[in-house]
Formats: sequence, C-alpha cells, structure tokens
Amino acid sequence: MEMVAFYPGCAAKGASKELYESTVAVSEELGIPLVELPQFSCCGAGVLEEVKDILDIVVNARNLALAEREGFKTIVTVCSTCLLVLKRTKYHLDNDDDLKEKVNNLLEKEGLEYKGEVDVKHFHWFLLDEFGEDELRRRVKKPLQSLKVYPYYGCHTVRPYEILGYEPSENPQSLERLIRAVGAQPVSGERRLECCGFHAFWPNPNGSMILTGLNLKDAKLCGADCIVTPCPLCHMNLDANQGRALKEVGESFSIPVLHVPQLLGLALGIEPKRLGLHRNIVPVNC
Amino acid sequence: MERREVTFRIKRFNPKKDVRPYYQEYKLTVPRGMTILEALQFIKDEIDPTLAFRAFCRSAICGSCAIKVNGFPKLACKTQVFTELDKFKTSLLTLEPLDNMEVIRDLIVDWDGAFERMKELKPYLIPDPKVVPDTLDEETRVYPEELKKYDKFTDCILCTSCYSICTATQIDEGYGGPFQLARLYRFAVDKRDGLKEERAKIGYAYDMWNCVRCEKCADVCPKHVGPVDAIMRLRGISIDIGLKDNPGARHVLAFYKSLMESGLLNEVLLPLRAKGIKGVLENLPVGIKMILKGKAHSPIMKPISEHESLIKLMKAAMEVE
Ligand code: SF4
Ligand code: SF4
Ligand code: FES
Repeated sequence: MEMVAFYPGCAAKGASKELYESTVAVSEELGIPLVELPQFSCCGAGVLEEVKDILDIVVNARNLALAEREGFKTIVTVCSTCLLVLKRTKYHLDNDDDLKEKVNNLLEKEGLEYKGEVDVKHFHWFLLDEFGEDELRRRVKKPLQSLKVYPYYGCHTVRPYEILGYEPSENPQSLERLIRAVGAQPVSGERRLECCGFHAFWPNPNGSMILTGLNLKDAKLCGADCIVTPCPLCHMNLDANQGRALKEVGESFSIPVLHVPQLLGLALGIEPKRLGLHRNIVPVNC
Repeated sequence: MERREVTFRIKRFNPKKDVRPYYQEYKLTVPRGMTILEALQFIKDEIDPTLAFRAFCRSAICGSCAIKVNGFPKLACKTQVFTELDKFKTSLLTLEPLDNMEVIRDLIVDWDGAFERMKELKPYLIPDPKVVPDTLDEETRVYPEELKKYDKFTDCILCTSCYSICTATQIDEGYGGPFQLARLYRFAVDKRDGLKEERAKIGYAYDMWNCVRCEKCADVCPKHVGPVDAIMRLRGISIDIGLKDNPGARHVLAFYKSLMESGLLNEVLLPLRAKGIKGVLENLPVGIKMILKGKAHSPIMKPISEHESLIKLMKAAMEVE
C-alpha cells in the first residue's frame, strides 16, 4: 500500500492520546503505512479564520504543501474539524487562482508550493475506500456480535457537502458500514447528525452541554450499548464531559464512547491497552 | 419516461380546526424530473384542495417554498423528487414545515419572528456621507475586489432554511440567526456603509460567539451563501475593533499564541487563556479526571520542526492586504 501522510491533529496528540494510540495500532494491524510529518502544525480548528481569513488559508496551505513536498498523494486525519479545515483550504485554493497565486508567493519564500495534488481523507473514509466492508469483515477476529452501536457523526465529516463531498450530508452511511463490518449493529438515532456544541464551549458552556446531553440521551433512548464517533472533539464532550452534560438535561446514566479505531481495534483482536481504552473517562468494559 | 410510485407523507395542521398536527399520505406516480413543488401542486389540484403550501416564482428566486423534505430544508421548486428518493433509498418522502418557526397552516410557517430579528440587526445601508454623495449626479463606484468581500452574502433570498435548522437559534433565544448575521457582515465590509466595523458590536450583542459552527446553514443554503463564513469574519472584525475581553475572542487569541509558541495547540493552557481562573475552576473536576487517565500533556510544548518557517508565514499572512 502506498504511504500516506498522517495528520493526527492536536487533540489526538494531546488530550485524546487514546485516539492516536488506537489509530497507530489499527494501522499496524492492517498494514497501513502512516507517516506523521514532524513539520505539520495545528490547523487552527477554524479559529484562525477569526483572526484573519488568509491566515487560516496560509497555515493550512503550508500543511498541504509539506505533504506534497514529501511526495504524498493522501493526507489522512482522525479529527473531523482538522478534516474540514484542510479540505476547505484545498477547496478555496483549487477554485480561486488569484488566491492560490497569492498564497504560493508566500509559500515560495519558505521553499514550498501548493500544487493541488494531495487529497485529504478522514481515517474511516480511507479504511472503507482502501479495504471495503467485505475485506474489513474478513480481517475481523472478534466480531462484536450483538453490540448495539450509535453512529454519532457530529458535523465536520458531513457538512458542508460542497466541501467534504464524501457522502450525502442528509444521509451518510459510512459509520453504519463500519459498524456492520465489525459485526455489530448500528442503531438509528435522530441526533446522529446533530452538533455536540464543542466549538461554542467557551462562550456558552451550558448551551454546549445541553446539546451533548441531548445527543447522549438519544443514544440511550435507541438502546445503544455504546457510541462511536469519528471526531476527538465530539468525543471530548460526549465522554469527558458526559456527567456534566447529562446533568444539564436532567439525566444520570453512563454510556461508553469509542473512537472509530478503538471500535475497529477491538474487533481486530487488538488488546484494549494498545487502543488506549483505559484512558476513556467513561469506562469501557471489554 | 421513467415513472415511480411515490408516497408523500405530509404533515398537516390547521390551528383553527386541529388539536394537534397529523400526517396524511398521498400516493402518486411521479415522472423523472418532477419537482417536489410540482408534486404538491398536483396533489392540491387533483387530490386534496385543502392542502396549504407557499410558492411563487418556481425558479429558486423568491425563497417562499422552503419546506423540510425527509428532515432537511429544501426549496420545493428546486428539488427533484427522484434525487431525494435516491439519496434516501426510499419510495416515501416526508414533507414537513420548517422548524424554529410557528406553523400557520400545513407547510406554511410564520416568518415574522425571523424577519423581525433581521430588522433589529439593521440590514440596510446607512450611507457614509464621506463616501456616498448626496446628489444623484454623482455615483459611488464599488470595484470588483471590494465587491468580492461580500458578494456571495448578497445572494440570500430569505428562504429561512438556514434559520430553521440553526443549532444556535435552537438553544439561544438571543442569537441573531444565520442569514441575519450574514446580512450584518455584508454591510460591515461595504465601504459605502456608515457604521462599517462598528456593526460587529451588533453581532456581539446578538450572541454571535454562540454560533457552534455546525455548518448546517452552509450545507442547506440553496444559494451557497454560507452564513457561518460571514459570522466567522464578523467575529474577526469584533476582535479588530477591540472587543477582546470575552471567552470567544480570548479563545481565538489563545490559538494564535499557541501556534506562534510551538505550532501546536496548547490544550492544557486553553481554559486559563480562554476564560481565566474561572475557566480553570469550572473545568477542574473534568481536568483532574483527565490527568488521572493520562490525557494531559506538559504545559510546555516542544515546537514542531521548521517552526521558524511557520512563524514567518503567519507574520507574512498578517501583513497581506
Ligand atoms: S442564507 Fe441561504 S438558506 Fe439562509 S435564508 Fe438566505 S438563501 Fe435561505
Ligand atoms: S454554523 Fe452557526 S449560524 Fe450556522 S447553523 Fe450552525 S450554529 Fe447556526
Ligand atoms: S417558489 Fe420561489 S423559491 Fe421556490
């Protein structure tokens, strides 16, 4: 398999270490050659756009150009917001020649050029594209039979479709496909595409917690045994802030929240420790 | 021509007669190319004249026909039945009135609240006497580069689709709203406007920092307006004019600082930087749990490789006109 540039994002390098660990473990198991570039910077989580829009573009054009410089065709990320920010940068540069020229003039001074040859994918899209469900199913050693999993997409792997373009934003199915591939059963919840409020956590913590609480409640209502999400930021709200969020909506239960590679890793027979499951705040019994 | 049997499950409600809303099903044979609006019109003409919906231009211009199709706002006149059937792999389409607004009847909602809110935000040009002449003999030229700043935000047709699904609107009554705030931004960067950057203060007063960046408004807009993009820029303007001492702005500046220091986000210092001691205290219980689980990194971070080059680029970007 061709080498892919791994863009873990700051959450996976920091407070969501278990996402980093499980991504590496799953990639080793499946033989995916991930190469993390030590030059990659934080994408700014869309926040840099609020400092100045061109700043956001330049910082991320640099990330894209670094991958191109090292000859990569694909960047794989495990964070939904990093995904959107990188793809949005690519979208703007690829559709606006003036902007591309302006940005390349700056990059040139640092020995870089954005050509537009590198693609950006979320890890779980990459898995589905590279292996397909059937191949993944064949690799599964411990099917997670009878496990009911709530596929929580959140926002930035599905919206806006114009920029992400992987699957219809009104009815994405990638997580359901993965859940089935590991032998588990996806439950269909009304709030799987709703926001967790993470990006307004600082200005509006209560609002953010209400949204997360409602999402958790929906998962419970659907009879889910656990939630799986492709985003470490959603994970932070759903897992680390679970108690606070549930209190905000007058509930008090607990439901484990797994990162996509943690779920897949369990089915591939990887020991829980390598998947960082001991780091999840809500305990995962496996 | 391909035809399909389709069931339309339509939410009905007449507040004068019905205690609560109910769903009514209509089955019809739909040819390829038929729009949802044509299907509605067919039902009204041939099956049930009591069905109420709103439409006018039939050309995606007037913004009056927006309804929910299988849960998502769409212009009925722009949306083909087959496209939606294929997307949802179904032969049943559920049509409902838009959310976040009261139902007048069936698929018709009351726009007043949404438009009142827009009016409060002063969505019109307040001419700057230094730029706009007060006689009709002269004109104010707007050059293409100037127009580019707000061009796409002038394409809004007030269909209220974005407003109807806006997450911030759902949880915060004081929130300005997506298309409303986009209009505000549109004038904030118009050189003819007298208030200009000062308009960011209006956005601030109308909770623009509570936008959760769910991107729904960008996703559903039939005119590709992308209100959230305007909101992000309006926030940027508010910081530029000095509205810096609030969690939203401080969070932004914390990111900038982190990137300058190491190139990566310093998550450990974020609560302090975004909200001061209050932020630390509020998040202490969760923070302790995270430390015990080995989730916290050292507050001093090792810079990325070629960090110097990132700093130079960031500084250069800040200089760009
Ligand atoms: S911004 Fe788009 S979705 Fe919102 S009201 Fe205007 S046209 Fe409709
Ligand atoms: S991105 Fe912001 S304005 Fe747009 S729908 Fe979401 S919360 Fe509302
Ligand atoms: S009828 Fe005018 S926009 Fe659809």
